[in-house]
Amino acid sequence: MRRLDERNGLEYYLWLFTRLSAILMLCAGAAGIVYANLWGRTLMDAPAQYRWAFFPIYWHVQNTDVPDVFPVWSNAFWRVWCTILLFLASWHGFNGLRVVVEDYLHPPVLLILVKGFIGLLFMFVFGAGTVIIFEWF
Amino acid sequence: MRRQRTSFWETLRYRGGIGAAVWVLHRVTGLGILLLVSVHVMAAFLMNALDDPISTAVTRWYESRPVQVFVYFCVLYHALNGLRVLLEDLCPPLLRHHRELIWLQWAIFIPVFGLPAFFIAQGIVIGNP
Repeated sequence: MRRLDERNGLEYYLWLFTRLSAILMLCAGAAGIVYANLWGRTLMDAPAQYRWAFFPIYWHVQNTDVPDVFPVWSNAFWRVWCTILLFLASWHGFNGLRVVVEDYLHPPVLLILVKGFIGLLFMFVFGAGTVIIFEWF
Repeated sequence: MRRQRTSFWETLRYRGGIGAAVWVLHRVTGLGILLLVSVHVMAAFLMNALDDPISTAVTRWYESRPVQVFVYFCVLYHALNGLRVLLEDLCPPLLRHHRELIWLQWAIFIPVFGLPAFFIAQGIVIGNP
C-alpha cells in the first residue's frame, strides 16, 4: 500500500473515499442484478436489468413488461438508495476528474479556476439528479 | 505525495507495457463514464423540466445502440480494473501476480463484455432502439 505523509491528510482521505465508494458501488451493482432477477426475471429484458443494476430508478424498468412499477420498483427505500448511489458516483467521478486535471494542467491560477468549475459541475449534476429522484419519481 | 509534472503526450508515449496501457484505459473509461452519465442526467433533468427538443434528442442519442455499447464497455472495464487495483491495494502480496491478474481481468472482461455487446449491437434484446 502507498504510504502518504501527514501533511497530505485530505488527499489521503480522498484516495480512501475513491476505494470505499468503489466497493460500495460494486456491491450496489451486484445487489441490483440479484434483485432484478428475483423480482423481474421473466419480465425484464437484459438491458433493463443492466440499467436497473446501474441505477435503480423506476424509469429504468418502465419500458418493459413489468406490470405495476410502484410497489416493487419505486418506493422510499429505492429513493434513498439512489440518492446515496448518486452521491458516491458523482463524488467519485468528479474527484477522479480533478486528479486527472491536476496531472496535466500546471499553471496554478488556471488550476484553481478549473477545480472550482469542476466543483460547480459536481453540484449541478448532483442537484439535477436529486431533483429527478425526488420530484418526478 | 509530490505529483509528477506530466503532459498528455508523455502519457501516450510512455513505454510502460501492459501496466501503463491498463492505467491509461482506466482513465479514459473513467472520463467516458463521467461525461456520458453527466450528459444523461442533465438531459433527463431538462427533458422533464422543459420538454425541449434538444434534451429529447440527446436522450435518444444516449439510448442509441453504439452509445449503449460504449457506456457498457466503459463501466465494465472501469469496474473490473478498479476491482483489481482495490484487491492489490488491500493485499499487496497479490502484486507478485500483477501480470497474471491483468490477464485474468481480460479473460473475464472479453466474454462478459462481448456477449451482451453483440446482443445490444444486433438489437436481439428488446428495449434497445
